[in-house]
Amino acid sequence: MAPRNTGSLRRYLVTRLLLVIPMVFILLTVVFVLMRVAPGDPIQASVGAHLSPAQLAVREHQAGFDQPLVVQYFHYLGQVLSGNFGTAITDHQAVTQIIIRNGGATLELTLSAMFIAVAVGVPLGLLAGRMRDSWVDVSSRLFGIVIYAAPVFFLGLLAQELFGRKLGWLPTSSQASVLTQLDIKSHTHVLILDAMIDGKWGDLPDLFKHLVLPATVLGLTISGVVIRLVRVNVIQTLRGDYIEAARARGIGERGVVVRHALRNALVPIVTITGLQAALLMSGAVLTEQTFNWPGIGNRLVFYLEARDYTAVQGIVTAFTLAVVVVSLLIDIVNAWIDPRVRY
Amino acid sequence: MRKAGLGAVSVALVLGLAACGSSSSGGGAAGPGGGSANPKATIVLGTTDTIVSADPAGAYDLPSWNFQYNIYQKLLAVPPGTSDVAPEAGKCDFKGKTTYVCTVVPGQKFSNGDPLTAEDVVYSFNRVLAINSPNGPASLFAPMKSVSASGDTVTFTLKAPDATWPNVLTTAAASIVDKAVFPAKKLLADDKVVGSGPYQLSSYTPNQLAEFTPNPHYGGTDQLNNSKFVVKFEQDASTLVSDAQSGQVDIAYRTLSPTQLSALGNSDGLSLAKGVGIEIRYLVFNQKLQPGGTAEQKLAIRQAAAQVVDRSSIASSVYRDTVSPLYSIIPQGLNGATDALKTAYGAGPDVTKAKAALAAAGVSTPVSLTIWYNVNHYNDADLATELMRQLNASGLFKVKLQTAEWATYDKAALTDTYPAFLFGWFPDYPDADDYTGPFFPCKTAFLNDHYCNPEVDRLITAEQASTSDTERNQTFAQMQTLLAKDVPLIPIWQGGQVAAVRDGVTGVESTLDPDYDFRFWLIGKS
Repeated sequence: MAPRNTGSLRRYLVTRLLLVIPMVFILLTVVFVLMRVAPGDPIQASVGAHLSPAQLAVREHQAGFDQPLVVQYFHYLGQVLSGNFGTAITDHQAVTQIIIRNGGATLELTLSAMFIAVAVGVPLGLLAGRMRDSWVDVSSRLFGIVIYAAPVFFLGLLAQELFGRKLGWLPTSSQASVLTQLDIKSHTHVLILDAMIDGKWGDLPDLFKHLVLPATVLGLTISGVVIRLVRVNVIQTLRGDYIEAARARGIGERGVVVRHALRNALVPIVTITGLQAALLMSGAVLTEQTFNWPGIGNRLVFYLEARDYTAVQGIVTAFTLAVVVVSLLIDIVNAWIDPRVRY
Repeated sequence: MRKAGLGAVSVALVLGLAACGSSSSGGGAAGPGGGSANPKATIVLGTTDTIVSADPAGAYDLPSWNFQYNIYQKLLAVPPGTSDVAPEAGKCDFKGKTTYVCTVVPGQKFSNGDPLTAEDVVYSFNRVLAINSPNGPASLFAPMKSVSASGDTVTFTLKAPDATWPNVLTTAAASIVDKAVFPAKKLLADDKVVGSGPYQLSSYTPNQLAEFTPNPHYGGTDQLNNSKFVVKFEQDASTLVSDAQSGQVDIAYRTLSPTQLSALGNSDGLSLAKGVGIEIRYLVFNQKLQPGGTAEQKLAIRQAAAQVVDRSSIASSVYRDTVSPLYSIIPQGLNGATDALKTAYGAGPDVTKAKAALAAAGVSTPVSLTIWYNVNHYNDADLATELMRQLNASGLFKVKLQTAEWATYDKAALTDTYPAFLFGWFPDYPDADDYTGPFFPCKTAFLNDHYCNPEVDRLITAEQASTSDTERNQTFAQMQTLLAKDVPLIPIWQGGQVAAVRDGVTGVESTLDPDYDFRFWLIGKS
């Protein structure tokens, strides 16, 4: 039985990996077409106001922007296949470098946000499920719905206004203050980790201080989903025969809920939490914009405004791959924690 | 689960405590000092500018040039507070109408210790042309036929007489690079650049932070008033305002709205430093598409509009006097500038004269006119609204406004799509030719507005060929008189330069001049 399970999981994972190829291909094509359909190009956005239409046309010709779309498309695909995402025209940065450098900041933000989402969502969902239809349940559900429905940038602005400007407790922008940034040498591009690697413990307070608002805002938004999901699963699990059996064995209610109900309820939660990776990424784009967080989403908006085809395509591909990898990992974790899972 | 829960609570506590317990951030060290001048000061400048490239061959934009001005030397430079051309790493003069010869000043070194030679100069120019980056400055070297080195002498051979060539040599496009470091056919990565200017780029995280420290081998004459200069790149103006108010940055420079500047000027510990700016904004008429049945009627409509526009009101009501009324395409502060439109149409609006001009040409009023403007590049919504109000209030025009995003706007405006549109100009170098040469020649006009006056054409050729300041100024004066009569475009305002500066920071006003070269070395702290 066990070897057959392993085989089916392996087959499933291989299929999933193979499906990534057409998925990325379709996405690249869509982004490619959308970027070309939109007016303007990176050269015009950069130096348009200084050049005559004829001079601009010469430069666009040199960059190959006047070539047929099909030619440009296959040229780009060729580049991607060779592992080269190209160089952004707007600021001459290698797209791979942009992804690595700014990806670190996004990773720092999204992981912290996920931590907050789970730390807030699981206890509240658990309480709501356990105390179904009580005021705790109603309050938690209401909180979950409102926080999830509120646009992340709106929450961000409110938080900035309250904690930044009115109370003056927390900084409202950037990943760190200027001197902290200058003090930390980049190894992993995750500033907190880099500070720890170099033993710059004195920089950590400043880094955490800058992280609190964006991570909390993004995390709370995601927690809305977690609350509802945990609640539903806990309610369903509490109806199970084995819960009754546990109670019959004299196990205390707290033990029943935490050790039996929650543990079983966690399986679908892990799956859904993984699926939130995409939501987290899109939320990160907005959160990074709101808090001037130098992540990859922030750069995506910058390059979109500059019509930088190469950079946008590269970053979107990186986003896609990140979501795919997280989904795959979640499948593996699911199969590992729940032997009943079949593929 | 209990352990996990405890762990989560612990981490949250650590996170919260760390956040609450941290002291004030970087701005503290960069904040105002007290007492005497401090040559070891660190200065932090905040800006919403973005850098295209730190390599001179890769950028043709003011923010990148400001970066480069502090890293590299050119043969010539514009001294602070002037629009003159003076020696920097070379001493130059015309030897004949199309030969310009420079001698490299001895003792100049790059920050890696390599000596700066005439070969480096030649290499730098040829490299810009060879790379010909799509957003690079190669087009500025179009007048150059060839460049060669002999000993410590560099000889430029020009295609035609060109008095503006020395000005081109003051731009960052003419920055001298180390031929042993910079590849001949491709751009060098920003964090690898090496120059012979007063600073070296010590660290650079694109679009976040750049750290400049003194070039240990600097052989020039500029004295540094600080030991470190940091540029913080802000995502938007509101973040810049917030950072200036909280002391995260010592100087907030570009780009802030008049309202934001006013707020910063009224903030504790901050004041505004002002300087002459020669950025301009103007209303262009496409003479093919503008209203009017005949050339005479079209001219009368343009003249009537020029007669009705109240520039002073625009400067005060829209821009809170951070800009000045502009009465010629050549802004005040440059040699050769006149107030030609003030002479021709008066300082304020005169509806009676405008009405008479239209009536004389047989134009029925109100004239329907669509004016296009842009928001995401020029932020001209308020200007356009005020212009519409003024023109409509005269009873002679019925103006409709339309807007487009920059990507569409720039291309459409210059390719016969808009009958009238607002446009702006930032100079390459502080010379009157930069405001006439690209705009008005019949065949190569940048605006593609179908304006052609052979006499203006002739005057442009004449001023470009002359090396006499007096002669050129006279030519520019004649040209501006003609342009005031023809009104191919209506100059509206000339922008001043304004920066918000923390108390104790010195030297900002001395670098805010028509050259737009933000000289980091002039900035200090008391």
